[in-house]
Amino acid sequence: MGYFIDVAFDSLNKFGEELCGDNVEIIQTEKEVIVVLADGLGSGVKANILATLTSKIAGTMLKEGASLDETVDTIVHTLPVCNIRKLAYSTFTIVKIDYEGQVHIIEYDNPPFFIHPHGTKIEIKKQSTPIQDKVIKESHFKIQDGDLLTIVSDGVIHAGVGALLNLGWQWDNVNDYLASIAPKEKCSSHIARGLIETCKNLYMERPGDDTTVVAIKVREAEVVDLFTGPPEDPEDDSWVIRKFMKGKGKKVICGGTAAKIASRELERELEVDITYLDKEVPPIAYLEGIDLVTEGVLTLSKTIEKIQKYVEGDFFEACPSFLEGKDGASLLARLLIEDCTHLHLWVGKAVNPAHQNPDFPIDLSIKLKVVKELVNWMEKIGKKVIVTYI
Amino acid sequence: MKKVYVCIGSACHLKGAYQVIHKLEEIIRREKLETTVEVKAAFCLGECTKAVSVKIDEGPVHSVTEDTVEDFFYQYLLGR
Repeated sequence: MGYFIDVAFDSLNKFGEELCGDNVEIIQTEKEVIVVLADGLGSGVKANILATLTSKIAGTMLKEGASLDETVDTIVHTLPVCNIRKLAYSTFTIVKIDYEGQVHIIEYDNPPFFIHPHGTKIEIKKQSTPIQDKVIKESHFKIQDGDLLTIVSDGVIHAGVGALLNLGWQWDNVNDYLASIAPKEKCSSHIARGLIETCKNLYMERPGDDTTVVAIKVREAEVVDLFTGPPEDPEDDSWVIRKFMKGKGKKVICGGTAAKIASRELERELEVDITYLDKEVPPIAYLEGIDLVTEGVLTLSKTIEKIQKYVEGDFFEACPSFLEGKDGASLLARLLIEDCTHLHLWVGKAVNPAHQNPDFPIDLSIKLKVVKELVNWMEKIGKKVIVTYI
Repeated sequence: MKKVYVCIGSACHLKGAYQVIHKLEEIIRREKLETTVEVKAAFCLGECTKAVSVKIDEGPVHSVTEDTVEDFFYQYLLGR
């Protein structure tokens, strides 16, 4: 199957702007993943248009199989000319990476990319080609499991200029920062979010330029099978459990009844933990062969809340609570964000009598809605999701 | 040793399983019965309409709330 290319990005808008002048396009095809980061000249609407145009042209052409030369040539010749500066301009970085780890990068005036290998050092030779009065740098190399490739717009390099730091933190400082977190962080979204949050602090919450980070990590695929809710037809129980147990990755069961079915079919005892680590999340249970057993809908809703907070909230505020929380929802959120690359949901459609009780809050009666929401958030953070209704 | 199973499934959780567990533990401490009664958690006991569902060993499921824990304890646990 090859590698899983874990791509995540995050941006800051220049202070006071509603639109970001950087734009990122990520396209996944059967052969490869294409990532384009474009930084439009200036800021606000104009920069946003330039950047969007550039990344869309590049993304679409490359997806349809155009060569990099053709693509770059098209971009350089189509961008509208800025009235004030008499320039048509958007810097960009294009990364093409296939599932074997073969990388091809084109850089046009963006800060040089960062590479942090997990194992052996990677030799990078950049070839320069002049286009009009600018230089395009091209490089080919191969990366492996655990290697991290990071591309940034110049807002990252300039973070803190004239405020906290006289000259901003230079490329080398960013490189050191990334080198220190690369071995620790398993998933690219932690890296992108962490770096962006650091820039935000350096800018003291008032970014002087649009700032974007794209982190690309090559990983072995890690499948998580998640079983929630009993199958519609009880006769399917044993078949479903057999199928579910065949998965090679981590296994999670969300739901008391589902856990009981598994315990019965596997003839293993289910041990429910009595300690409430978080008053709002029901306790977890233990079942041999299953990595995590939790209660159903309430835990799932809470997990979604945590993922949402992780995506939208303040990174450094959200993160410790993930890393330390031992309640069902924190454990599940962490597993889904950090470990999981492919999520396979086994969703039972049996009607739970508990959810039919008119006294309960509305979202209990709609487990399917909760599942759908989970799928949405997981896809938002770049995970592949398959849902099997049973 | 008697085992009291308190359901912590979705329905019972919402109906206050947490409080029931705490109350039970409190009473057991007060009555110094730590060596004869043990509180355990259980996933759905299948009687969600009776939330919070509680059963003693393999006995029938009782419906208990935070306010009726004391009565339940003295009637069913000490009474037997």
